[in-house]
Amino acid sequence: MAKTQADELAVVGKSLPKPDAMGKVSGQARFADDLMLPRMLFARILRSPLPHARIRQVDASRARAMPGVQAVLTGEDLPIKYGILPVSQDEEALCSEKVRYVGDPVAAVAATDEWIADAALEAIDVSFEALPSVMSIDEALAQPGEPIHPRGNVHKAVALEFGDTEEGLRSADHTREDVVFFEGNTHLPMEQHAAVAQYGQDGKLTVWSSTQTPHYVHRALGKVLELPMSRIRVIATPNGGGFGGKSDIFAHEIVAAKLAMVTGRPVKITLTREEVFYAHRGRHPVLMKVRTGFRRDGRITAMQFQSFLDGGGYGSYGVASTYYTGALQTATYAIPRYRFEGVRLFTNKPPCGPKRGHGTPQPRFALEVHLDKVADELGLDPVAIRRRNLVQPNSQTVNWLRITSCGLEACMDRVVADSRFLERRTAMPSGRGLGFAVSSYLSGAGTAIYWNDMPHSEVQVKVDRGGGVSVLCGAIDIGQGSDHILAAIVAEVLGVSLQDIQLTTADTDLTPIDLGSYSSRVTFMVGNAAIAAAQRVRQRLAEAAARMLHCESDELSFRGGQVGRRDHPGEAISFAQTVQAAEAGEGLISASGSYTPPKLAGPYKGSGVGPSPAYSFSAAVVEVECDPRTGEVRVPEVWIAHDIGRAINPVLVEGQVEGSVYMALGEALMEEQTFRIGVHKFPSMLEYKSPTTLEMPVVHTSLVESLDPEGPFGAKEAGQGPLLPVIPAIANAVYNALGVRIDEIPITPEKVLRALAQPSRRVGPKGVPRFAFPSPIQAARPPEWEGK
Amino acid sequence: MRSEMDVYVPRTLDEALQQKSAHPDAISLAGGTDVMVEINFGRLRPAGIIDLTRIPELREWRREDSHLFLGAGVTYSRIVRELADFVPLVQASRSVGSPQIRNRGTVGGNLGTASPAGDALPVLAAYDAEVVLQNRRGTRSLPWHTFLQGPKKTAMAPDELIRGTRWQVVNGPGSFSKIGTRNAMVIAVAGLCLQVDQDARQVRVALGSVGPTILRAPEAERFIAERLTWDDPGAPVTDEVVAEFAELVGRAAKPIDDVRGTARYRVHGCTVLAGRALRWALEERKAFKWL
Repeated sequence: MAKTQADELAVVGKSLPKPDAMGKVSGQARFADDLMLPRMLFARILRSPLPHARIRQVDASRARAMPGVQAVLTGEDLPIKYGILPVSQDEEALCSEKVRYVGDPVAAVAATDEWIADAALEAIDVSFEALPSVMSIDEALAQPGEPIHPRGNVHKAVALEFGDTEEGLRSADHTREDVVFFEGNTHLPMEQHAAVAQYGQDGKLTVWSSTQTPHYVHRALGKVLELPMSRIRVIATPNGGGFGGKSDIFAHEIVAAKLAMVTGRPVKITLTREEVFYAHRGRHPVLMKVRTGFRRDGRITAMQFQSFLDGGGYGSYGVASTYYTGALQTATYAIPRYRFEGVRLFTNKPPCGPKRGHGTPQPRFALEVHLDKVADELGLDPVAIRRRNLVQPNSQTVNWLRITSCGLEACMDRVVADSRFLERRTAMPSGRGLGFAVSSYLSGAGTAIYWNDMPHSEVQVKVDRGGGVSVLCGAIDIGQGSDHILAAIVAEVLGVSLQDIQLTTADTDLTPIDLGSYSSRVTFMVGNAAIAAAQRVRQRLAEAAARMLHCESDELSFRGGQVGRRDHPGEAISFAQTVQAAEAGEGLISASGSYTPPKLAGPYKGSGVGPSPAYSFSAAVVEVECDPRTGEVRVPEVWIAHDIGRAINPVLVEGQVEGSVYMALGEALMEEQTFRIGVHKFPSMLEYKSPTTLEMPVVHTSLVESLDPEGPFGAKEAGQGPLLPVIPAIANAVYNALGVRIDEIPITPEKVLRALAQPSRRVGPKGVPRFAFPSPIQAARPPEWEGK
Repeated sequence: MRSEMDVYVPRTLDEALQQKSAHPDAISLAGGTDVMVEINFGRLRPAGIIDLTRIPELREWRREDSHLFLGAGVTYSRIVRELADFVPLVQASRSVGSPQIRNRGTVGGNLGTASPAGDALPVLAAYDAEVVLQNRRGTRSLPWHTFLQGPKKTAMAPDELIRGTRWQVVNGPGSFSKIGTRNAMVIAVAGLCLQVDQDARQVRVALGSVGPTILRAPEAERFIAERLTWDDPGAPVTDEVVAEFAELVGRAAKPIDDVRGTARYRVHGCTVLAGRALRWALEERKAFKWL
């Protein structure tokens, strides 16, 4: 489908409003917190006030005796541990022995209203024995007291090497080492997480949840509640923003389900904004060291990259996050020899996990700032040094990533030309600067989170005799517009209008398998499954139409609600008539299609993180305006180009790009999830600063269409990749404006002033802690890199 | 179990004063943009609430000879729309919260909450405003610095309501500026109001968010009053004078480290804001020939 010409397409490629847009802006969309069921109870969770403590005793007798309280749960009611990754089954819905961060759940109450539930929380007496807390990477490595988990504070350490990097560095004309830090931050979705659970007399459990990953929640509920999955139905409600923050399994989902089972009444729980900061699973704080060798002309000879991740109290997606901090450096630059060492540490903070760009914005910041510094030293401009090293289409990286379509160079050329970067960067007025960076991201992870042989996505299409088309799909729209993509693809293949499509999504009783709305996989994988399903339906309809029109089925076109002979435009019947004829002949017309990514993992342990059926590419130029007296940095203008493969709905892609710019701006300049004496400094939207509309710059978005050979109609991802180049481009622009290097995100006014006052003109970490990484797995290099 | 709370909805000023007198432990509110946050977070649980939004007298502002009286219930949105002559007050009002908060929030609320970060307060201090309080027996006026006693502490008696604030209309340029992480929904890291009073031959400077309460910078004020050529707005003022003035303003700040910023940065911020505010005022003085 990739090669279809744009002018042959009726729906795909058109900028159209999202089908759910009016419902959302008019308040009709039903989010999880909007659900009201008869006799519904309201639940609240008691959370730890201490960052690290042993639970001596939980006494809920006073709470249980309160009028209106229907049930109280403590750790002993939910003893089975769980976790999103099979290797990290370390969480309890309610802690039984220990708490590991301020906000860790300890007990839960269901009551006839939220105020009674709140009051009951205060009547639960918990006796804690405080333990020394670990609040940083350094403290975690120093191991002062009892480790956070029995096996120590080192959660995961990995080391991979592709080719002899020491030799590569020795043979370089120039080497440089940089150490940078990226502070943690959180997703800040507008909608707080919420779940409603109902347990029927038939012994069946239904859970509605604002989750990105209903399939994984389904599995975890089965495990923790010891119910067969056949008796559990999980329905994902529209997400009011996800950004990765709703892709884990959360205590409140399990608690609501258990309370519904215990009370026999529906139970709703909605997290407060403060609790959302504790649920977290956001951006890891990462300390990084990068060492690279270059030839005089700027070509990279070898790179060694180290990352230290501050993981928070539990595993979550952390093993994957760790690998991601090392996986995609090679996806933009042809690095002939590469070593990656990463370690994730437990700390007494809310667990970190995936946030837009999962594990890759931090190393992308390190890499792009590092390259600018090297360019300076080699007398090259920032564009030239990147051009020397660009990854090529249809190539394989040294860590076995398969690059197919690649519009990276086109993206670069576009933003460099549109911003007049090269002409203007050396002639900026005082306090103003331009910065540049590029990036790459995956269009869906090539491997599932747990080992299984099912397709990654499956779509079912049914047509009815009125000409309507039902599409059943497991993916939930998290605001990015996946509902539109799904409908547009089916409408395109069947030649009907968007209004003829009826979607049923993310309901484990009704919809086929889909792994979830994460890793930028939905358009690519669901889209391919939808094409397959719709084509099967179309084939069966075509056979029926061919009988009526006395022609061969391959002579027919489906367009504008008509099925007709391509070469005899007058000879056509309506889509509905076609359906009736087909149904008369063979019964209900329904088909499913699926997508399984090709097996792309390289021949080494740890190769499961990084491979994707296609990579998106982005490039950005950012202009900044710095106030050297106050240290304030403003961003008036951004130029960004994104290789989307094909834009199925350009306005949605632009929305994702602009949203990425917005989020990157917040991360680069102000957002930080930081703590004081174990306590989150500002768990509120007032004090956790993210940009407002007043900070939003003019954004010039360009879409580059490289028509991916495996993407649906050639499409690739847009949800995460465009965030990546913006952060380092801002850092590089600040350097261009003021000559200071802020090697630490966020770039706050205080840091800018500090750098201006220092002879080094730099603020950032001085080094990395001593840590004995395992000796690296020496992976074979793909054939094209042998001998290089 | 949270205690029940009585909500009083007086329709007239008399009714409000009676209710406040009968229920001195009830808290009075207008926009509720501070009080409701405290209640919702469980940090405040008054025995009752007196909703002042329906009392017409509190929503008025008027000129009284050479003074301006601003009712406690005038919202920031209305100040921005209706009081354009009072430039620093409008600038401060425009920087309060978001449009929604400006539609609800009032200067009376800033005074009642008495947070050192209340955006309107440095302006009132630079205007040398007085706060008008009223109970059933009558009204009294207190200078702003007597009214504001400390962080979240005022001289208001339990049976009193804030009627409004009053100041002598000043002849001269002025400005309000603040430093914060973003341009809206931000509590200032440092806020500053500078007002030139051409008739009194004074430059008054007040600081917010950099001490337990609003601070003036008397040394800086004296210094600059002596160095300006009051009869000649065009007379040059050297960079050294501006810098020394700014330095003196910075020295008047008494900030602490908190989650919004360090004490050091706040002092520095006051210095920068002071220098800039003085330069703006001097330029304006030249342009408009304030005499």
